Amino acid sequence: MSMQQLFLKLYDFWSNQGCYLAPTYDLEVGAGTMTPDTFFRVLGKKPWKVAYVQPSRRPTDGRYGENPHRVQKHFQFQVIMKPSPVNIQKIYLDSLISLGINLKEHDLRFDEDDWESPTIGAWGVGWQVLLDGLEITQFTYFQQAGGLELFPVSVEITYGLERLEMFLEQKDNIYDLKWSDEVSYRDLRYREEKEFSIYNFEQADIQMLQRWFVFAEKEAQRLINQNLLLPAYDFCLKCSHLFNLLDSRGAISVTERVKMIGQIRTLVNQIASNFVEQEGEK
Amino acid sequence: MEFLLEIMTEELPSSHVRSALNQLEMKFRQELEAERVGVGSLKTLGTCRRLVVLADLEAGQREEEEIITGPPRQIAVLPDGNFSPAALGFARSQGIPLEKLETIKTPRGEYLGFKRIKRGKTTPEIIAEKLPSILSSLTFPKSMRWGEKSFRFSRPIKNLLCLFNGAVVPLNFEGWSACNKTRGHFIHSDREIEVKNFAQYSQILKENFVIIDPEERKQLILNQFQEKMSILKAQVYPDEGLLERLLWNVEQPLVIMGAFPEKFLELPLEVLSTAMREGQKLFSVVKGKKQLPYFLGIADAPADPQKFIVSGNERVLRARLEDARFFWQNDLKIPLAERVSQLKNVVFQEKLGSYGDKIERLQKLVAYLTDRLDLKSEKKALEEAARLCKADLLTDMVREFPELQGIMGGLYSQKQGAAKITSQAIYEHYRPLSLEDKVPNSEGGAILSLADKLDTLVGVLGVGYTISGSSDPFGLRRNAHAICKIILEKKFHLSLHRLLDKAIALVKDRLSISEEELKRLCLEFLENRLRFILERKGYRYDLINAALAPGIEYLDYAEARVKALDDLKQSKNFEPFILMVKRVKNILKEIPKGPLNSALFKENGEKELYSALKIIQKNSKEMLAKGDFAGAQKIIFRLQAPLTNFFDQVLVMAEDKKIRNNRLALLAQVQNLIKEIADYSQIVLETESK
Repeated sequence: MSMQQLFLKLYDFWSNQGCYLAPTYDLEVGAGTMTPDTFFRVLGKKPWKVAYVQPSRRPTDGRYGENPHRVQKHFQFQVIMKPSPVNIQKIYLDSLISLGINLKEHDLRFDEDDWESPTIGAWGVGWQVLLDGLEITQFTYFQQAGGLELFPVSVEITYGLERLEMFLEQKDNIYDLKWSDEVSYRDLRYREEKEFSIYNFEQADIQMLQRWFVFAEKEAQRLINQNLLLPAYDFCLKCSHLFNLLDSRGAISVTERVKMIGQIRTLVNQIASNFVEQEGEK
Repeated sequence: MEFLLEIMTEELPSSHVRSALNQLEMKFRQELEAERVGVGSLKTLGTCRRLVVLADLEAGQREEEEIITGPPRQIAVLPDGNFSPAALGFARSQGIPLEKLETIKTPRGEYLGFKRIKRGKTTPEIIAEKLPSILSSLTFPKSMRWGEKSFRFSRPIKNLLCLFNGAVVPLNFEGWSACNKTRGHFIHSDREIEVKNFAQYSQILKENFVIIDPEERKQLILNQFQEKMSILKAQVYPDEGLLERLLWNVEQPLVIMGAFPEKFLELPLEVLSTAMREGQKLFSVVKGKKQLPYFLGIADAPADPQKFIVSGNERVLRARLEDARFFWQNDLKIPLAERVSQLKNVVFQEKLGSYGDKIERLQKLVAYLTDRLDLKSEKKALEEAARLCKADLLTDMVREFPELQGIMGGLYSQKQGAAKITSQAIYEHYRPLSLEDKVPNSEGGAILSLADKLDTLVGVLGVGYTISGSSDPFGLRRNAHAICKIILEKKFHLSLHRLLDKAIALVKDRLSISEEELKRLCLEFLENRLRFILERKGYRYDLINAALAPGIEYLDYAEARVKALDDLKQSKNFEPFILMVKRVKNILKEIPKGPLNSALFKENGEKELYSALKIIQKNSKEMLAKGDFAGAQKIIFRLQAPLTNFFDQVLVMAEDKKIRNNRLALLAQVQNLIKEIADYSQIVLETESK
């Protein structure tokens, strides 16, 4: 099964579970969790079901295309179900079965792994799902986001698509994966990984990134004051990515790290509480 | 009769299972006994998906006589002995015949009333009443909510099975009704199973790939370990913590053995076993001290006929080891000495500066310690260790596996040609990591560890951190514990006062409290930990109090003092001597005014005591200087006879104020001498406590 068949099967499975299939969000994010389709929708009381593929950028994970497992951009398949269904674990197992995995021939484990994102004031409780020792999914019950207690509780299921595909294709090297029958992961991504690793680690202009961070932070604050919460949140995402780039350039000391994460979180928390207040009981 | 409870959940963290089972066992027994339900045997079992309580309970509450009081006797009984209308009304309202009424004596006076046998509730009634509050009272290190419930638990609850004597206990808990159903293994036999009793339950679960007894699972795992190892004639690298975790993590343990390419054996054992343990929870296989290219894992499955589980784990491990090898080779390209300069960019603590600042202080502390401990020949090598010891924080390997800090520094420096003393000191300088962990083997490691921990303790307390309850961000308790443990076990004879002065002087410019206050805080902190260590060694708390009273400047002496007291506590001189010390202390509540003047002695008793004091003082001083507390104590005991005579013959509270003061002054000198060894007055005698 190629990677795009994997996308299609998961889309198919989760749309049958009643999920809305969201298009990929068009900003750089570190994880599917950060896009508005998750962040805003887990707040407040309204039920929500969504599934989408999200390219996720983690500049420090770049390896110049030389490492068979690590890349600075990977693809997540993100599912949110709110409120979390009672049989969600079973539904998740069924999704694996729908990919043609015979679970009885393998060792599937829900291994304690709580999740936390200080940048967006969020944390949750859950597991990493291991299939024969390979982490294929992060499974989380969201407890808090934007600094707010969440009720009802959403469950987030994040499949690591490359990992899952490596399992399905029994491949040891990410670049050997088939995106489609015609196109390999190497064809699509190798040059990108190489060039972005050079950019992330060597070329990104530190002073410029620092200035941009300040601009984006100010703009987010200004937009919050104008009550334009979705644009404000976009600028928080920009801050977060700029922070990640600075981090991969080794330009952030421990204290600066705490300070910058705190700055973004303050903005995100304001956005979340204003949003909930305004959407309120609608 | 048999009681069986099974709470099915989504996968609980291993540590939560253990703790929940302990709480269940304790609370269940407490609550039932409080309700007068006899609890015979009681045990808990389980896996990460089920918490199970099995008990033998009486069928119902024990009967109890109950006294119902009515109106006061004065009102209830008329002067002619007949019942008043009040009494008649009471009997009617309680529905009892008049002849049952009797006089009840209470602290408030006499009342009319009657006794009856209180009807006991049945055990299922009690369980239905009490179990919900027991379950909601379970606490976890972290708990969660799910769905649309506000209830919190470690992980979502899926089912509640509750049987007493084979019948379902009618019970509701947060929306779950108790039933007599359970399910088999979530993958290998996910079907509903009806349960009648524990024997059938554990048997049928076994048939459905769930072994409910943790001991049985452990035995199965160990047997499979042995079986695999006997083929290789090798051993599993022991890791109790990992075994304990995995034991709860699986319902159907299957040990798998896999291999990895030999080229990874170039990695040190420490790196290999960490990569296996942390990433994939695999056990290393060794022959003697040599790592073999195999691993053992524990799967949750009945079998692996297609070898998918083994080969999957092998593939993942290869990737991890590939990473680790990349880190190892890459890290070695830059000498640690070159990395040192970058430590100024790594913050240790905001007010205490960078790790660059820290290692400068460490070099000075290490130099001081080697001078004090007569290790001048190792001075240079250990100063070098202090300079290099934090550089591994900048390596990829430590970034990936933080628990290898120190160890990597040791291994890298050795590869890069550092002196053996240097690399061994770096390797060991985080030890002891826990209360149970061993202190460094080498003197150098111990010195560097001591310096590092002292610097942290002094610095962190000095910039105003306080610790309370579980909040101890820099692990100060562990640090203080390690300081005491190293000094005691390595028999370092060091003045804690001077050592603290030295360490405080090095952070002087950064303090937010005064130097005196800081020293006092550190000493208090260290004394607490020393007390804790001595208590764990089994010394009586009052002996510890007595022994620590003269101060803890030399920790080795403080321990020797307790030991001397402990050795002597059985001797026949011990108790009379302590009584005598207490007598002296009592009299000295009146504080002597003015100095001792031997010319004012009148009685033989006081002259003899004085001359005995002089001799004993001289002898005991010599003993104390050598640290021979047992010897000093024996000498001090010789004061017993002259003191007894003194009290027999001499009236301390003489009318003449001058004489009285002089006698008190003499006793004060005696007391001061005794207190140099221990404050015996703090010792509790059995005869006193009775």
